[in-house]
Amino acid sequence: MMTNNTVLSRTEWFKLFRQSRTWYALGALLLLQVILLLNAWYQGESILNMLLENLKQSFHFQGELLNGHLLVYIVLNTMWFHLPLILMIVVSGMLTTEIETGTLRTVMMTGISRKRFIRSKFLVAVVFTLVTVLLVAITSGVLSYLFFGFGDLFVFHGALNFFESEDAFFRLAMAFVAGAFSMVFFSVCSLLLAVIFRETVKTWIVAAFFLIVCNLLLQMQPGEGWWKSLFFFNLNDTWQLFFQYEIPWEQILINLAMLIGYAVAVSLIGIWWFSKNDIE
Amino acid sequence: MSITATNIYKSYGTTTALDDVSVYCKPGEITGVLGLNGAGKSTLFKILLGLISPDSGSIHCEQSHAKPLGGIIEKPALYEYLNARENLRVFGAIQGANVSEKAITGYLERVGLDVNRNDKVGNYSMGMKQRLAIAIALLNDPPFLVLDEPFSGLDPMGVIRLRNLIIELAKEKGIGILVSSHLIDEMIRTCDRIYVINNGKIIREDAPFTLVDKATRSYVLTGASLEKAATLQGGNVIFQGGHVRITDPDPDIGEILMQLGREGFTVYSCIPETDINRLLHDDQ
Repeated sequence: MMTNNTVLSRTEWFKLFRQSRTWYALGALLLLQVILLLNAWYQGESILNMLLENLKQSFHFQGELLNGHLLVYIVLNTMWFHLPLILMIVVSGMLTTEIETGTLRTVMMTGISRKRFIRSKFLVAVVFTLVTVLLVAITSGVLSYLFFGFGDLFVFHGALNFFESEDAFFRLAMAFVAGAFSMVFFSVCSLLLAVIFRETVKTWIVAAFFLIVCNLLLQMQPGEGWWKSLFFFNLNDTWQLFFQYEIPWEQILINLAMLIGYAVAVSLIGIWWFSKNDIE
Repeated sequence: MSITATNIYKSYGTTTALDDVSVYCKPGEITGVLGLNGAGKSTLFKILLGLISPDSGSIHCEQSHAKPLGGIIEKPALYEYLNARENLRVFGAIQGANVSEKAITGYLERVGLDVNRNDKVGNYSMGMKQRLAIAIALLNDPPFLVLDEPFSGLDPMGVIRLRNLIIELAKEKGIGILVSSHLIDEMIRTCDRIYVINNGKIIREDAPFTLVDKATRSYVLTGASLEKAATLQGGNVIFQGGHVRITDPDPDIGEILMQLGREGFTVYSCIPETDINRLLHDDQ
């Protein structure tokens, strides 16, 4: 067949963005940010004053503490559950919808190789995830800095940590980059689940369960020493490491490399599984 | 040059879906696979189209072509959120077919769809979806088509239009077409040769007229004043308005029609009332 991978990926991309579900998902993410900002607008200042009353008497903070950086950090925390859940719903739907409507059969009757087809799905899932994370980063930044301005960032990461405005901006940006790796991992996992379970609702339930279990295991932090980082669920909070005073670059790079390895392994299993099974 | 399935076996657990099935179809021929629901027609067609693998047996398509056969399985499966042109463009791009505006217009015209219609395929009738699905199956000009239950869900006019399209594709374009259905009348009107499949086995292969004879007990004749015909006086004849139903005709229906002609009666139509069960339980 003369079809090249670019054409396949472009076709997948076209289909993805012609489905209303994709736009609902992106709209939901935007709305989520607006709600977080409104919440901060109405309640944030009083809560912050209550929390930091003693500290404010001892330290000088530049600018308002309820500022754009803090709001971006709050949006960043949607990477625990909300953002991966929405990504998993959209990404798994890329395949389950095709199975349920029968278009997968029509596609497979065109003579295209199964490997090439599912590979393009995984590729588009990864790109869509990266674009979505970038979009969330941009929209949260624009909305937060526009309405709340700049200032020092304080976060609780083991202890209360304070970062000057410029440093905070860098750390937030890098946290989005690191978080994108986790989101890609969850997206390819959801596509693997779609390959295995084939039904939309069943896949969503299993994907949500998988996400919840990952978060629970992340809290438990099983394992010790070097092999602790072998567990993928221990890697999904790597973006949080940017909010330690000393950024542990080596650990972050190892964790991200491990996450890439896991994402590649999950994708390869998905491609193999899809290729070996009949299309009913 | 033909498409051939030889000694195909397929089972799901302890259930045998296909048992030593062999079929073939030549270019320009319309070959039917007739059977009740669950007889194994869709399984056979899925194997022909490479969607599922047989446990044993082989598929052979002599034509060295980029896409040796196109098809529809069970129902037309289209991207309902796209319009007809976009569907053709997507499926065409996937398989490296020419998807220029001119080529797409050509495919739409070939199956008799409105080339100017731009709304979503989700709004289309089942007949229109069937036509679009056939246009998609025809992308890259395969020499053979496999159509599984294409008449299901169509209104009478839709059935006639689709039948005409299938015959036109076979007879004018030389495409070999394998059609499956449980509708014996449509298969008899459409096909050149018919396999009868039951419980996963091919139990009969016949010309349509032979099957009409074997599957028919009753005929309905329409004509003027047929109740006055001496030929139709006697048992097994029921008059219903302007129609006459003859069950187990003796002499055979051909002879009865000739006798009516000799009596000076005009018969406008003679419709066999076929029963697929007579084919399934009466071995060759």
